[in-house]
Amino acid sequence: MTLTFDEVLKRPKRGSVDEAIAELKNLLGDKVSTKPADLFSYSHDYWLITFHWLLKGKVPALPDAAVFPESEEDVVKAVKVAHEKGVPLYPYGGGSGVLGATVPEYGGIVVDLKRLRDLRLYEDDLMVEAGAGVNGYYIEEYLNRRGYTLGHFPQSLYPSTVGGWVATKAIGQFSTRYGGIEDMVLGIRAVIPPGKLIELKPHPRTATGPDLRKLFVGSEGIFGIMTRVWLKVRPYPEERFLLSFASESLEEALDSVRRILHRGARPAVVRIYDRVETKRHFYKFEELYGKIGTVIIVEGDSRLARAEKEIVEGEFKGVPAGEEPVRHWLKTRFNVKEISEFAPIGVVIDTIEVAVNWSRAAELYGNVIRAMKSVKGTLMASAHASHFYDQGVCFYFTFAGVPPKGRSAEEFYNAVWDAAMRATLDSGGTISHHHGIGRHRRGWLAEELGDAYEVLRKIKLAIDEKDVMNPGNMVM
Amino acid sequence: MPGKWDWLKDEIGFSNLLTGGRMIFKVVQGKLSADDLTKCALCPNMCRHACPVSIVEGRETTSPAGKARVALMIREGRLELNLDNLEPLYTCLGCDLCTLYCPFEFSVADLIQPVKEEAVNMGVVFEEFRKVFENLETSGDVYGNADSGTDGSGKVLYFKGCTVRNERPELAEKTLVLLEKLGYEAFTISETCCGLPAYNLGNTELFKKVAKRTAERLNATGAELIVTSCPSCAYTFHVLYPKYGIKLKPQVLHITELLGEVIGGLKLKGAGTVTYHNPCKLALHLGRRGLLKSLLENVEGLEIREPRRELFCCGHGGSAVSRLKPELAEEIAAERRKQLRDGAARVVTACPSCELALNGDGLEVLDIVEFLLERMEE
Repeated sequence: MTLTFDEVLKRPKRGSVDEAIAELKNLLGDKVSTKPADLFSYSHDYWLITFHWLLKGKVPALPDAAVFPESEEDVVKAVKVAHEKGVPLYPYGGGSGVLGATVPEYGGIVVDLKRLRDLRLYEDDLMVEAGAGVNGYYIEEYLNRRGYTLGHFPQSLYPSTVGGWVATKAIGQFSTRYGGIEDMVLGIRAVIPPGKLIELKPHPRTATGPDLRKLFVGSEGIFGIMTRVWLKVRPYPEERFLLSFASESLEEALDSVRRILHRGARPAVVRIYDRVETKRHFYKFEELYGKIGTVIIVEGDSRLARAEKEIVEGEFKGVPAGEEPVRHWLKTRFNVKEISEFAPIGVVIDTIEVAVNWSRAAELYGNVIRAMKSVKGTLMASAHASHFYDQGVCFYFTFAGVPPKGRSAEEFYNAVWDAAMRATLDSGGTISHHHGIGRHRRGWLAEELGDAYEVLRKIKLAIDEKDVMNPGNMVM
Repeated sequence: MPGKWDWLKDEIGFSNLLTGGRMIFKVVQGKLSADDLTKCALCPNMCRHACPVSIVEGRETTSPAGKARVALMIREGRLELNLDNLEPLYTCLGCDLCTLYCPFEFSVADLIQPVKEEAVNMGVVFEEFRKVFENLETSGDVYGNADSGTDGSGKVLYFKGCTVRNERPELAEKTLVLLEKLGYEAFTISETCCGLPAYNLGNTELFKKVAKRTAERLNATGAELIVTSCPSCAYTFHVLYPKYGIKLKPQVLHITELLGEVIGGLKLKGAGTVTYHNPCKLALHLGRRGLLKSLLENVEGLEIREPRRELFCCGHGGSAVSRLKPELAEEIAAERRKQLRDGAARVVTACPSCELALNGDGLEVLDIVEFLLERMEE
C-alpha cells in the first residue's frame, strides 16, 4: 500500500475482506481493482467538507477494493460474495452526491456502475430503459435526437448517472413541470442481499400492495444496488417562453407563484432569488438589482404553454424584466467553480436544501438565514426557491464563512449545518428536499422521522440482515 | 452598472473585512488563488460527459477530475510516483474536450503534464513508451522505420508525418496529386518525427531534441510553406515549437487550411450523403472547428449530415491510450463509430490516425483529400 493518508473516519473493518476480494477476483478478473489510485478515487464523493480534509492530506475513508461490473450478473456476484463474507458494499455512480453517501466508511468494496450504460426507448409507451450507469447528458441527448426529453436537469446533469438520480431521489431544475425523479420512475431492477436480482416491472400503474419502487427511490444503496430503471419520457417541448420579474419582497414573489400553481399552470422552471442572490447572479440587469428576482420558463405544447404563460403574466405581482435574465441563467446554470476557488484558501462553503409548506415558507426562510448567520465565522448566507408544489416550496440555501480562531473547518461547518437543520425543523420544514441524507445528515434524520425512524431501520435490516449494503449511510 | 462582486461587499459588510472577509476579497480580486491543478481536482467533474475515456471506461479514477486528483496526490507525495498510480494519468487522449465545458477553460492534459514529466525524469516509464522513445532517438520515426525517401526542393514542402508515411502512404501520393491540381509543385524530404509523441508521453527533453533536429531539417530545405496531412504535426509546428523556442522558418498549414483558402475556385460535384468526423487537434487545438464541414459544403449536390456529437475523440489521440490500453482505445473508437453511423455510412475526416481508427463496422472513412479528389474527377 502506497497511500499515506490519515484516515478520518476510523471505523473497524467488517467481515472477511481479503477472502471476499480474492473470491471476486476469481469471479470477475480484472473488473476488480485494489490499486491505490482506485482506492483513493473511491474514498470520497462530493461531500464538500471532505475536500478541506483532502487538501490537508486526509481522506474520509478508504475502500479495500473497487469493482467495475459490466452486467447485472457481475453485480449479483458482488452482492453474493459481500453477503457471504459480511463485507460492506457501496454503490457508486457519478460521485456528485454532496453528503458522503458513497464514502466507504467501514472499508470493503465500492461498486462503480458506470459500465452499465445501455439505453432503449419505447416510443409508444413514452418510456426509456436505462442502465444504472448511463450518464445524465447522454440520456438526455439520446432522447432529444428522437424527439423526446426526460425533463430532468439537475445541476449535476453532466457528471451524474441515472442510477445515482434514483438512489438519491434527485430533482432537476425543470421539476415544477416534470417532477422529481420519483415522478418519472416506472420500474426498477435491483440486486439485494443475499444476491438476488429483483424486478419491479414498469407498469403504468399497479395495485399490487405497497409500491416497492418507492422503497428504492432515495434509498442511497442501503437496500441493494439498482442496475436498471425504466423512466417516463415526454415529447420534446414544442414551444418555450422565458419570463422574469422583479418583486419588492420575497413574500410577494412566493405568493405569486403559489397563485399560479393553484390555478393549475405548471411552468417548468421557477426560481425566486432573495436579494443577495439576485445581486449575485443578475448584477448585469439593472431592473433586478436590489430586488427579488424571479426567472420562469413555460414550455410544452404550443397552445397549452401559451395559456400557462398568460396565467403567469396575469398572476405575477412584480415588474416584468424580459427574457434576458432567463437566457443568462440558462447559459450559466452549470458553472460550478466556487469550491475550486474558495476551498483551497480555507473558505468553507456549502448548500443546504430544505422544503416547507406555503403557510410557513417565508418564516422558514428568515429563520434559517438568521440561524446560519448567528454562527461565528459565517460571512454570507442566502437562498433561492427553486422547486414548487401546490403545497409548498424548496429553499436552497448557500453559506460561506471562515472558521474563527481556534475552530477547525469541520467544527465551523457542522455548527452552521446544525443551526440550519434546527431552524428548519423548528419552522416545520423537512431537513432534505433533494440532496438526500448520506452520512452527513444522518444525525438529524431520527428527529425528523420520530418513531418512523425505527420502521426504516427495520426495513433496512429485513432486506439486508447482515448490514453489508452501504453500512452507516442514512440509518445508524 | 454594479460590479460582479458588489453583492459580496454588501453582504459581508465592512466589519468582516478585517477578518475572514479579507481573504475572500483577495480571491475575487485575483490576489489569492489556488493553482489550477488543485482547482480542477476540487470540481465535481462538470466535463465528465465530454470525456470519451470517462464515458467509455466508466472509472472514477480516469474521469477528468479523477485524473487531476490523482496527479495532485502524487504531487503532494500522498500517492507514490509509480506505474500503477501513473496509469490513470496516461489514460488521457489529450483531446481537450474537457476544456469546452470547464468554467476555467482548463485542459486536464496540460494540468497533469508536469507529473508525467517528473515521472520520465525519475525513470518511471512504461515499457510501451520506452520503445517509442528509443524509436525517436534512433530512427527519428515513431514506428521505428527511418524514412528512406529522398530530399526534393522547392517552395512548398509536403510533410507526411509518421502515420501517413507508415500506415497510409497512398494518402501522401493523393495529397501530392491534389496539390498539383491546385497549382502547387510540392516536394517531399526524408522526414523525421515532429516530436509530439515524446511530448504527449511526458518526455519533454526528448521532444525538444527531436523537434530541434526536425526544425533544422525543415529550415534547411528553404521551403516557404509546409503543408501536412496530420493535424497533430500541424499543431506541434504551430503551437509547441514556438512554446519551446524552436524556430521554424516556413509557414505551416494543415491541408484543410490550405484547401479553405482555395476551395471557392474549385468545381466540386457529386450526389450522396456523408457525415464528418472532426479531428480534435484540428477542431480544438488549431481552432478550426467549422473548417471540415465548410469544405464539404463546397461540394454541389452533397448531403451533409451532422454527426450525433460534433466532437468526440476517435480513441487514438494523445499517444498513450492506444499503446497502454489498446482495448480501451478500440472501445472508444467503436463508440464514435456508433455515433457517426447515426449520421451516414460515409465519413469524411482530416486526420490519418482518426481515419485508421474509425474505418470498419459498416463505415467507410475517407480523408478529405481523397474525397475532394473523387469529387473533382466526377
